[in-house]
Amino acid sequence: MSTGATPPRLVVEDLVAGYGDTPVLNGIGLTVDAGEIVAVLGATGSGKSTLLRCIVALLRPEQGRVLIGGRDVHGGRDERDEILRGVGLAFQDAALLNSMTTAENVALPIIEHWGADEDTALMLARMRLARVGLARAGDKMPSELSGGMRKRAGIARAIALDPALLLLDEPSAGLDPTTARAIDELILDLRARTDMAIVAVTHEIASIDTIADRAVMLAEGRMIASGTLAEVHGSTDPRVQAFFERRLVDDGASSGLVGELEWKT
Amino acid sequence: MTSAPIHVPVPKVLAAGSFRALRRELARHPTGAPVILDCHEFESADALAVARLLRIIAEGRAAGHDVRLAHLDDAARRALADVDPAILEQDTVPRRHPLEVVGTQAIEAAATAGQVRRLAGATVAGLTRPFGAEGIKWDRALRQMALIGVEAVPIVVFISLLVGVVLALNGATQLRQFGASIFIANLVAISTTREMGPLLTAVIVSGRTGSAIAAEIGSMVISEEVDAMHTMALNPVRFLVVPKVLALILMMPLLTVMSNLAGITGGYAVGVLGLDLGSDAYLSQTVQSLFMSDVTTGLVKSVVFGVIIGLVGAHRGFAVRGGPEAVGRAATSAVVTSIIACIVANAGFTALFYYTE
Ligand SMILES: Nc1ncnc2c1ncn2[C@@H]1O[C@H](COP(=O)(O)OP(=O)(O)OP(=O)(O)O)[C@@H](O)[C@H]1O
Ligand SMILES: [Mg+2]
Repeated sequence: MSTGATPPRLVVEDLVAGYGDTPVLNGIGLTVDAGEIVAVLGATGSGKSTLLRCIVALLRPEQGRVLIGGRDVHGGRDERDEILRGVGLAFQDAALLNSMTTAENVALPIIEHWGADEDTALMLARMRLARVGLARAGDKMPSELSGGMRKRAGIARAIALDPALLLLDEPSAGLDPTTARAIDELILDLRARTDMAIVAVTHEIASIDTIADRAVMLAEGRMIASGTLAEVHGSTDPRVQAFFERRLVDDGASSGLVGELEWKT
Repeated sequence: MTSAPIHVPVPKVLAAGSFRALRRELARHPTGAPVILDCHEFESADALAVARLLRIIAEGRAAGHDVRLAHLDDAARRALADVDPAILEQDTVPRRHPLEVVGTQAIEAAATAGQVRRLAGATVAGLTRPFGAEGIKWDRALRQMALIGVEAVPIVVFISLLVGVVLALNGATQLRQFGASIFIANLVAISTTREMGPLLTAVIVSGRTGSAIAAEIGSMVISEEVDAMHTMALNPVRFLVVPKVLALILMMPLLTVMSNLAGITGGYAVGVLGLDLGSDAYLSQTVQSLFMSDVTTGLVKSVVFGVIIGLVGAHRGFAVRGGPEAVGRAATSAVVTSIIACIVANAGFTALFYYTE
């Protein structure tokens, strides 16, 4: 979809990252063009959130690059802030500012980066909240919302500035099926209307099949599958198959201790 | 040298007593020969017993034994099947060499100094840009002034008044012997404006505000609010630190003035009501004894104390990692550190003025 002139919205190159001595990601590569929706799959603890943290420069990778619109996010502070104005991230746990109402949370980036006056920004914030089904929750404090409502408010804040790149960390986890379905429709609608590039971390197979053009799957910090949805579905890797068939995989690590310890005569 | 394996039976019930006995027995054996823990009686349904068995294996290995298990039943096999072999290595905590501890602490101290310097730089950058899109958040600063300044007035006045009374009473017992009671006015005025006023205010504001800053920022760190600000390209220092430091810079001198007035009032009350010194005499003695420089010195110090309290609190807050108890520790440490830093800075000021006057 990208022409020769416009760089892809997101390029992740050979990313290696971790926390202190704990390696988490090892050689992740990913390209997302405008108008594309890419699902990031992987078991819990496989490093999906860590990948998003690297993309928005909350975590500095030990190796590799992250380019957004062709510019290096880890380049420098001012450059990073400029790039991030075009990026929305909905955190797994929403991460709303607890000292502000929900509407004020969504209005904050609008006031700061678009220079809107407070009342106009709050109006737009309510429009964003309405899109995630929270038209009436604007005046509530984050602590007065349910977990699912907070998560949706986080999505509203992430789309506040019509970002060119939207990152969603498990947008429909913990939501009832109807609301989850509505979030999927919102994602498709955003792509249709604004040509947003979207990366969605998700476990919901139904959601993946509905929204994703492509998918990557992480396991133990590596990409074990990547490609179109059909390609990933057809992967021969047992861990990928197990994911789509909702099976537990025996990764061979188990029973290591018994084997190691048993005395055989 | 391959010596014959040593068989050690594991009792059916590995309770606290038999656990200790088994450990002692294992410790008696020389290393080199494989030690086989015979589990044919062992009751693996008890999860705590399995954990004890694993601890014995880990300790044995750490001591150099080649520890193995024999005659595992199916239940024991299942209980161990999910265990990651790495657990056995994690069991032994390596002791650190004292030099390593000192070295690590020195490195940490240097890192802390660097962090505080960067935070101070970012705060100054924020303070020197009063207006515009990237400017000071005046609404937040005003709210902080009310919180930090106005709300602290009663306690500052109350405590300073009492300290003024105590100063005067203590001075009175001494000065009366020389018939020099009127000099209580000098004692109270000078010690209050130069030292007690700024320091008392700093201690009170550390306790009230330094801890609050650390707790607020710390809890925002653990709930990822600070991360969220970064990803929205919002500078947390501009939102969270600059308004507070600005409020401290403006409010500390005002609180100090109130503390000075309250302290002098305390001394006045003792002088006039307790020692019959006469209101006019006491007041004119006070005015005569005070130089403008005493007052301004105190006020300059109070501004510095305000900056210290704000930066230490913010630094402790941003450094929070972990959970709620880390927030509590940050608040405590902010108070302790900023009081120490203020007293050290005060000593520095006093020395400086002593040698330059
Ligand atoms: N702040 C941190 N410090 C140290 N290790 C961390 C930190 N955050 C995550 N990890 C580790 O990094 C690994 C990957 O975590 P991450 O949150 O990226 O997983 P995830 O794929 O998002 O999982 P989930 O589906 O449960 O959200 C985990 O093993 C976790 O223990
Ligand atoms: Mg996650």
